[in-house]
Amino acid sequence: MFRPDTVFRNFKNTILTKYGPNPAKMLIYTGVLGWFLSSAAQVVAIAVNDKIPKEQKMFLIPQEISDGAINVLSFFLVTSAIKNFASKLVSTGKLANPKIRKFLNETGLDVKKGLGQTKFNIEKLANYDQIKDDYKSFKNGIDVIGMTLGSILSCNIITPILRNKVAADRQQKTLAELHKIEQAKLKSPRGISMDNYCKSAALKYSSPYSGSLKI
Amino acid sequence: MNFTVLTYLGGSMVSVNKLRNISFSRGYARFARKATQLGLDLCGGKNRLLNINSEGKNKAIDWIGKNLSSAENRLILGASALMSQPFIDAANKDVDSETRRISVCRTVAKIIAGTATGYSIRKLCIKTIDAFTKDPAKLKEGAKFNKLRTCLLPALKYTADELSQYKNALGTLLALGVMVFTNFLIDAPLTKFLTNVFAGKGDKNV
Repeated sequence: MFRPDTVFRNFKNTILTKYGPNPAKMLIYTGVLGWFLSSAAQVVAIAVNDKIPKEQKMFLIPQEISDGAINVLSFFLVTSAIKNFASKLVSTGKLANPKIRKFLNETGLDVKKGLGQTKFNIEKLANYDQIKDDYKSFKNGIDVIGMTLGSILSCNIITPILRNKVAADRQQKTLAELHKIEQAKLKSPRGISMDNYCKSAALKYSSPYSGSLKI
Repeated sequence: MNFTVLTYLGGSMVSVNKLRNISFSRGYARFARKATQLGLDLCGGKNRLLNINSEGKNKAIDWIGKNLSSAENRLILGASALMSQPFIDAANKDVDSETRRISVCRTVAKIIAGTATGYSIRKLCIKTIDAFTKDPAKLKEGAKFNKLRTCLLPALKYTADELSQYKNALGTLLALGVMVFTNFLIDAPLTKFLTNVFAGKGDKNV
């Protein structure tokens, strides 16, 4: 049976267990959702801005759609990858603060015993509880730094370069389509006689600047 | 994906390869593990461990992990966006100069409007959630609205750090809900207004 209070309690507990111990994960998920909503609003903003000419809108609207799509992809690929790499730096013991290093040394672990290898995980050690608080605090900090660097790289460098390429390509294709339609209309000009056409052609190409005429 | 490669030889069916299980996900996991290992080995060199010994740096890392919410993250992204995106747009030679000029103006307008509203709303929503997640032990007994002040606390056990991250997460989710409306009501008109201001005053030869 559907009970709103149970659903609400479960929702709060899910947020606590999912994001409480892992703030970087929350930043990635909410970041993706935020970029999506923001892009949708920006597309509407360009579409209703009557001061932007139609030809520029043809560039700016695809630019914004590309921006949103590429942002979401960048977040999952680049930001997640860098955040996961930052996590691995700490969980494998490759990067540590003095407290964690002292704990690892006292446990008798060094490079020869797997430190710095992807298969090694501090969290799986039998005596992990001894360092849990210091480790979590340090790992969360490194995770958030990794996530922030990843999002700067993906949103502020990779996305603008890619979206400009994609949007410019779309604009050129759209303009080419438009010109094709206009040229089709001009194929058989009406309202001009052959006599008039010959006269205007003679006038046009008899000037000394008509060197580009090819017969 | 399962592939069975069979061939017909001398009138009888012969299985060239036994049933092979080629798992894409397993292959990807192996690739990811090798790439991560390569990255780890490149950091400071193979078989070398890295230490952050500075007390100041370690305090800063702890502070970032505990206090950097989505609001501050948005502010950092906005500031770095202002330092990179307009220059990337200005260097885009795939479009004509007028489109490039409008594109730079709109990018700057979008960053300013998006960062200002994004930061303010996220911060406001996290503060709002904080008002409803007060520690019951710190509230005066019998005071008004005590139940309301604790109504968003989770039912499970939590540490102080986990509660802080919980407030940030809940506040950010609330902010995203609010931003569905403010994106249209504040962000978009503000971006339009700023674009027109910058486009009117900007250098026409960008």
